[in-house]
Amino acid sequence: MNEQQRLIKETLHRLLTDLCGSDIVNQAEAGQFPQKLWDTLTETGLTVAGIPEASGGSGGDFDDSLLVIREAARFAAPVPLSEHFMAGLILSDHGASIGTDPVTVAAGDFSIDEQLRLQGSAENVAFARWCHQIVLVARSTSGLKLCRVNCADVEIVANNNMAGEPRDSVVIDVTLVPEEVFETDDAVLNKIRLLGAVTRCMMMAGALDSVLELSVQYSLERSQFGRPIAKFQAIQQQLAVLAGEVAASTMAGHAIVSSFDQLDELDIAIGKARIGESVSSCTDIAHQVHGAMGYTMEHSLNHRTRRLWSWREEYGNEREWQIQVGKAFLEGGADNLWDTVTNRR
Amino acid sequence: MFKGLTFEPFRLPEEAESIRGEVREFLKEELDQSVLPNSDFNAGDSAEFSRKLAAKGWIGMTWPKEYGGAGRSFLERYVVTEELLAAGAPVGCHWIADRQSGPLLLKFGTEEQKNRFLPQIVAGNYFFSIGMSEPDTGSDLASIRTSATKTEGGWLLNGSKIWTSYAHTNHFMVTLVRSEPASENRHAGMSQMIVDLNDEKVVVTGIKNLAGEEDFNQVFFDDVFIPDEMVVGTPGNGWEQVMSELGYERSGPERFLSAFRVLVEFAREIGNDPSDEQLALLGRLSAHLVTLRRMSISVAGMLESGKLPSTEAALIKDLGNSFERMVPEIIRLAVPGAASRRFVDTLNECILHAPSFTLRGGTREILKGVIARGLGLR
Repeated sequence: MNEQQRLIKETLHRLLTDLCGSDIVNQAEAGQFPQKLWDTLTETGLTVAGIPEASGGSGGDFDDSLLVIREAARFAAPVPLSEHFMAGLILSDHGASIGTDPVTVAAGDFSIDEQLRLQGSAENVAFARWCHQIVLVARSTSGLKLCRVNCADVEIVANNNMAGEPRDSVVIDVTLVPEEVFETDDAVLNKIRLLGAVTRCMMMAGALDSVLELSVQYSLERSQFGRPIAKFQAIQQQLAVLAGEVAASTMAGHAIVSSFDQLDELDIAIGKARIGESVSSCTDIAHQVHGAMGYTMEHSLNHRTRRLWSWREEYGNEREWQIQVGKAFLEGGADNLWDTVTNRR
Repeated sequence: MFKGLTFEPFRLPEEAESIRGEVREFLKEELDQSVLPNSDFNAGDSAEFSRKLAAKGWIGMTWPKEYGGAGRSFLERYVVTEELLAAGAPVGCHWIADRQSGPLLLKFGTEEQKNRFLPQIVAGNYFFSIGMSEPDTGSDLASIRTSATKTEGGWLLNGSKIWTSYAHTNHFMVTLVRSEPASENRHAGMSQMIVDLNDEKVVVTGIKNLAGEEDFNQVFFDDVFIPDEMVVGTPGNGWEQVMSELGYERSGPERFLSAFRVLVEFAREIGNDPSDEQLALLGRLSAHLVTLRRMSISVAGMLESGKLPSTEAALIKDLGNSFERMVPEIIRLAVPGAASRRFVDTLNECILHAPSFTLRGGTREILKGVIARGLGLR
């Protein structure tokens, strides 16, 4: 991490400590959008770093956006940072730009006719009810089109993932103006899938880091049998396992960031497989260490663990990505397996 | 955040990558393709192979040229060692001298010791063992009892070391001994001494491991005379010296590659018609492997820049060893009945050696204690 990133991280932590406490997360889960948090985050310009200024971004490095997404997840920030970043990148690819109001991305079944009447529906659209616009891909007789739809024109049925984050159903039947329809091709679908996986990896890496911190802290504060439970070997060994899994997840996340310019598909697949897998043992250990207190709504551990259980499923769970990694490693045959390993720089 | 648990991304530089092809060429030439390779660093030894490697300049390659080394970077050495292990080369003879004894002498040895030993190690003529564990001393290293008593011009050594790999074929052993009686400070009063394994008062007895091999030993000392010039570093400073080796000892590719050949044979076995189940398993394990390697290279980068990341190294060893233990246990269930002889042999070989993975060089319990300390728990 360079000096600038350290600075970004510190600034973010201050900002999130102020504006994204447990109460804000709980209120969001009860249905209230944290407008102030969103406005403050977008004011930093870091939410659209790496996206060209001409497209409404703030230029700079992708690393900064990904760092923001990771650190925000540490605080379980209930805002569509990932979706906005994804939408910004996709729009920019198509010569369009993004504003400061939140935009989300929908993956569903949509078609658009020659009069630009767009019809279809999608499930699990992240934060749709709080967003200004939705970016989606629709079939047409002349190939795929990227469409941008105002949420005011969309029927939205509220739905949540198990972390209480909006994952809404949307039904669309609207005629778009030509300025909101862009030529595109198959590649955009894969790009959305990859960006979805990248952002989930960042989010999981951030949340896992926070889970480790909370668990260590709790073990030092909680006393049983006359001493902090951190002093028991059984607890120490569990936390050491947790630390190992978190370190591996962090490293898998770093690898994705390093090759993000090329959107390296295999690094992303490895990351989603590896980080997703660690969620199981990490949440197991964290909850065990926290005892019954961690099983309550009152303790903020649940904000992280319920999100981890949700995010590992989004944009392909670890099994789906493991299969993709397996195919890539088998491709050159057994005797080239090692070469495939060493080609991952 | 937590002390010693930071892994920054690090990329092997081109100068290190450029050596890879040459090593692969060499291995293709030198390794007998009819013998099933084994990527466990402790499972194969060939003095002839070690000498050929020496001729290529790949033993002691990071050491200064004045002692016969090649002055290459630690990262170039990383590439050479990982290539050797992945190919299942028999590295047992020179392994310890190259990884540990040589660097120890470079750091703490006298000019005379460096001149006497390093060029011979580099040439593949001197092989070293490590003498740490004793019959009553395993993880609690500070409880060693092998004693060195001062005498005219040197020390008299009495006691015994155990689990000493290749003591029966190697030439020397860097031995940790108690040179002062145990005191309140358990870590004080220890020294490292070079023992000539051919000394007639040194008795080496083989111990058969559960795979039926006799590569480790018990070594007995009965008034063995150690001249003053064979003491490494400062007498009494042994504990600190031993601890300073751990970053190198625990973070290398040998801590997660021991079961690699099982993965290769699994890939061969599922071949052209893998099920999704098998692909997912290969993918899962490959994702672990690539991530572990990246962590290990991150630590190699820290070592190269002069840092001493001993907590990170402990974490890599623990995570890597768990991976090595997991690989054969999961893969065995993913190949249906009619597996090939080649696959079964590789798998069985790994299972028979697997218990040692999480014992040698620090048990998983000790490593987790080191990590816990890094977390601020103790």
